[in-house]
Amino acid sequence: MFIDIDCTQQKKYDQNAYGDYFLSSRNKDTGKLAAVLSDGLGSGIKANILSCMTATMLLKFIEADADIQSVCEIVMNALPVCRVRKISYATFSAFDCNDEGFARIVEEGNPQFVWVREGEVMDAVARVVTSATFPNRHMQIYNIKLELGDRLIFCSDGVTQAGLGSPALKLGLRREGLIEFLLKKLQDQPDISSRDLAKLIVNCAKGNEVDKKARDDISAVSIYCRQPRESLIFTGPPYHADKDNACAYVFKRFTGKKAICGGTTANILARELHIPVEAQILTNAGSLPPVSKMKGVDLVTEGILTLTRACEYLEETEAVTHNDAAGQLVKFFLESDCINFMVGAKLNQAHYDPNMPIEIEIRKNIIKKIAKLLETKYIKTVNIKYI
Amino acid sequence: MNTITVKLCLGTACYVMGSSHLQDLVDIIPDRFGDRVVIAGHNCLNLCTSNGEHAESPYVKIDDEIISNATIEKVLDHIEKKL
Repeated sequence: MFIDIDCTQQKKYDQNAYGDYFLSSRNKDTGKLAAVLSDGLGSGIKANILSCMTATMLLKFIEADADIQSVCEIVMNALPVCRVRKISYATFSAFDCNDEGFARIVEEGNPQFVWVREGEVMDAVARVVTSATFPNRHMQIYNIKLELGDRLIFCSDGVTQAGLGSPALKLGLRREGLIEFLLKKLQDQPDISSRDLAKLIVNCAKGNEVDKKARDDISAVSIYCRQPRESLIFTGPPYHADKDNACAYVFKRFTGKKAICGGTTANILARELHIPVEAQILTNAGSLPPVSKMKGVDLVTEGILTLTRACEYLEETEAVTHNDAAGQLVKFFLESDCINFMVGAKLNQAHYDPNMPIEIEIRKNIIKKIAKLLETKYIKTVNIKYI
Repeated sequence: MNTITVKLCLGTACYVMGSSHLQDLVDIIPDRFGDRVVIAGHNCLNLCTSNGEHAESPYVKIDDEIISNATIEKVLDHIEKKL
């Protein structure tokens, strides 16, 4: 079972910093996934600092399997006190789950999460623990077992209070409104990815606000337990040419989505598998070589330049859609859960000609960089095999 | 009437060394030669690796003739001569 997790955020309309903070990590060895969503008191920079501190501390403690109750006390005591309100405050939802689906959730102050199984909302029973130092703060602790197909939605109150005071939603969207929206969307698109669902929730919340202006920071975290979507990227010719044929057949037999990054690599596969690479359509698709077409392959691009640009896109903080070959490659990555790279170690000497007007990165390095981003920022499972 | 096929190499080395600009030929060639010349991109003509000398990108193939250090003018000249 693979846990597909993603978060979408929208900052308050008159602020330049997000007041909610989301962090997650996946332990490669144990398969444990940990995530925290925190909403800082107020908005803007102050809220950003409070929620960032809360999320960062909580994530570290959860990763280390620390006792959750004492952890929450430490975090609450560590936050700076607001000069205006004389309190220190950041709400949070913390989640961790192993690869068998045993999940632990702790909430303090955030709207209660929504758990959906087969189109119905599940009831989760909470154990309530009151803070020793802050008697008005209560933590809800849940232990649940997730099954394949289950979804969890966490959000900040920016979602449940969206549209507050408007004629249509006097009390805001509320948890009931969110549930209604969710069930409808899941009925229409049962296989929707976490990324797309989180986006839809934030758009729904923003759409319900008066003048469509976010009156508070809005965050939605979507978790989806699914069969992993596997993909394979073949980039670079094998170091020993006599392995071309074997590698080509590994690529052919792979059952998930497939991409080729590299002109020579595409030629090798075309030769070994007797599948022609269709000439590229010369369209003005940004400053990168265009994509090619090959039967049975989902995406064929040029190599290093496209990979380098894709890496830059993955580093961007705002989720922007790019239409060039690198943008299509990023889309390919993000629509996969488990990404396998077959990286040919052969170098093209021509790339290191001192007359080249730009410096061309070594394939191995750029793949390592992309893999790290996919693992840490996008919480994907990545395997690299050098050939 | 014989048609001429022009293949632009859009592999990494050629692209960086100038074939990105050669893509303008997609508009220029039909304007000047109509349907007597067919132009297409190629993901890699494998010339930068097989040619020993690496400094001769970008490459363009006009039928079986290889043009190294290709520029728009050079490609148009070759086509004129062939026609």
